[in-house]
Amino acid sequence: MKEIIRATIAIVIVSAILLYTVNVLEKSSAIFGGGTISVYNWGEYIDPELIDQFEEETNISVVYETFDSNESMMTKIEQGGTTYDVAVPSEYAIEKMKENNLLQPIDHDLIPNLQNIDPYFLDLPFDPGNEYSVPYFWGTVGIAFNPTLLEGQTFESWDDLWDPTLQQEVILVDSAREVIGMGLNSLGYSLNSTDMDELREATDKLKTLGPNVKAIIGDEIVEMMRREEAAVALTWSGQAADMMWINEDIDYSVPEEGSNLWFDNMIIPKTADNVEGAHAFINFMLDPEVAAQNADYVGYSTPNEQAITLMDPEVTRDERFYPPEELRERLEVYENLGLEMLGTYNELFLEFKMDMEN
Amino acid sequence: MAKLSKLAKIYLVLVFAILYAPIFYLIFYSFNSGGTMSSFEGFTWEHYGAVFNDTRLLIILMNTVIIALLSSLISTAVGVLGAIGIVFLRNRKTRKTVLSLNTILIVSPDVIIGASFLILFTMIGVKLGFASVLISHIAFSIPIVVIMVLPKLQEMSSSLIDAATDLGASKRDILTRVIIPYIKPGIFAGFFLALTYSLDDFAVTFFVTGNGFSTLSIEIYSMARAGITLTINALSALIFVVTLGLVLGYYFFNQRAGQSPGTGGAKT
Repeated sequence: MKEIIRATIAIVIVSAILLYTVNVLEKSSAIFGGGTISVYNWGEYIDPELIDQFEEETNISVVYETFDSNESMMTKIEQGGTTYDVAVPSEYAIEKMKENNLLQPIDHDLIPNLQNIDPYFLDLPFDPGNEYSVPYFWGTVGIAFNPTLLEGQTFESWDDLWDPTLQQEVILVDSAREVIGMGLNSLGYSLNSTDMDELREATDKLKTLGPNVKAIIGDEIVEMMRREEAAVALTWSGQAADMMWINEDIDYSVPEEGSNLWFDNMIIPKTADNVEGAHAFINFMLDPEVAAQNADYVGYSTPNEQAITLMDPEVTRDERFYPPEELRERLEVYENLGLEMLGTYNELFLEFKMDMEN
Repeated sequence: MAKLSKLAKIYLVLVFAILYAPIFYLIFYSFNSGGTMSSFEGFTWEHYGAVFNDTRLLIILMNTVIIALLSSLISTAVGVLGAIGIVFLRNRKTRKTVLSLNTILIVSPDVIIGASFLILFTMIGVKLGFASVLISHIAFSIPIVVIMVLPKLQEMSSSLIDAATDLGASKRDILTRVIIPYIKPGIFAGFFLALTYSLDDFAVTFFVTGNGFSTLSIEIYSMARAGITLTINALSALIFVVTLGLVLGYYFFNQRAGQSPGTGGAKT
């Protein structure tokens, strides 16, 4: 009995000390009088120094939390019980959250820095007039490839992936809309097609890609490309930038038939506690210097026109990550196709995957 | 036991090599100055420095430990009392029913438990955070403790209690001086199992965290999208070393305590 009591006391004391330390640490990182905001963002999607800088400038302390998918973030916000003040979903998720009445309108008077954003990224179909969201990062879907492993091939067109010399060399990202979208694009159809004939044709074309496909995977793509285990990958521009950062041989291209253009925007959930603080944070992130520093750190493309002038021109003139207007015109933003159509996309993707096993 | 044959030894070594290889691989790269797990460039301590400089990570780590310690402590207390209650239930049928209910909780998937807790907490208006995580960890640990303590209780001869009663022990004395010392190994086993369950639980915690409270499993999972940094390797290595130290310390302590009754020595 004595031993158990002693163990209990020891545990309680250790927990108390730890709790105290956590409190001290939290206070020392938050000795600010301006209240608190909680920010909900993708993992590794901000330069941590910027959070400190924001706290110092505004006296608002930041509780920072991360998520890994739009869906899990939406569930957390939809269920209530949380009081996130700022979150950063992708465009189709914003559309869905708007429909489900989960968002608060953004007061544009409190965000003067909105003028720094390239007008091209404002007033898009998923959020007309930017009533509910403000751009954070953007990017494309394209082909990452390693020329040293290939015989001088380039990937100007989606059809280049079908090249018979690429046997077992192509990795695809495990995502229905990206892969079916590639099929549609390669035939010159819209990414948001709901025409069953077009979708069928795209799936049948994808099936002929089978012999070239090495794997259909997720984030492991970056590691595989770095290690040169594969030569070509269908992936997002951010992932491609990650690969290139380690392995300089890798190149990225957005085929000329067109592709997907995606956005991650900042929003204020309906359940937010500190709406004023949330606006302050959004405005801070749109500051040219802040946005430039953040883009340098994260490696994705910033929609901030003023920030681009502050960044290394070698990066911002890189047409692979900052595609010029002619190319951008051929890019399409995903539309929310509705649950039923999304089901059809998933089914066709599954059909393609099952066909590969034969 | 007969001596292991050569084949058996090789097999054993192989199994342990497979079990430990990923951990050592991870630790090895925590000293890599290259910044990724793809190629080893040179030796550095910088990732360990980064762990201690990252206040957020340290807070998350400490939160994880606090939740583990407190939840296993409370669930052990509740679970032990529960197990005693179950053993002394007169009606066999009731006892069986209660035990089955306990087992159902153990085998039901974490995802279901987590989702139900999320719905419950949001329905009754509990703010997601420290309290919600603590409560759900206590909840899923209790059945485990019960299962660990029960065999010890069943093994205990009822004549021990009869003898104590004959000698004039009060109910309280019987509990604190007879039953609990006897089942002590079970209590500690239950506590440590609950501790590990809580430390590495992802599924349940995933649903009930919020408002700035996070544990290590959640944090590492979120990082996976953009690539896990070597800081996590360093942190994992530190946790591994500390765990190893604790286990070795525990054995050392046990050996010195000798054959004192009920410290988990071999029974046969």
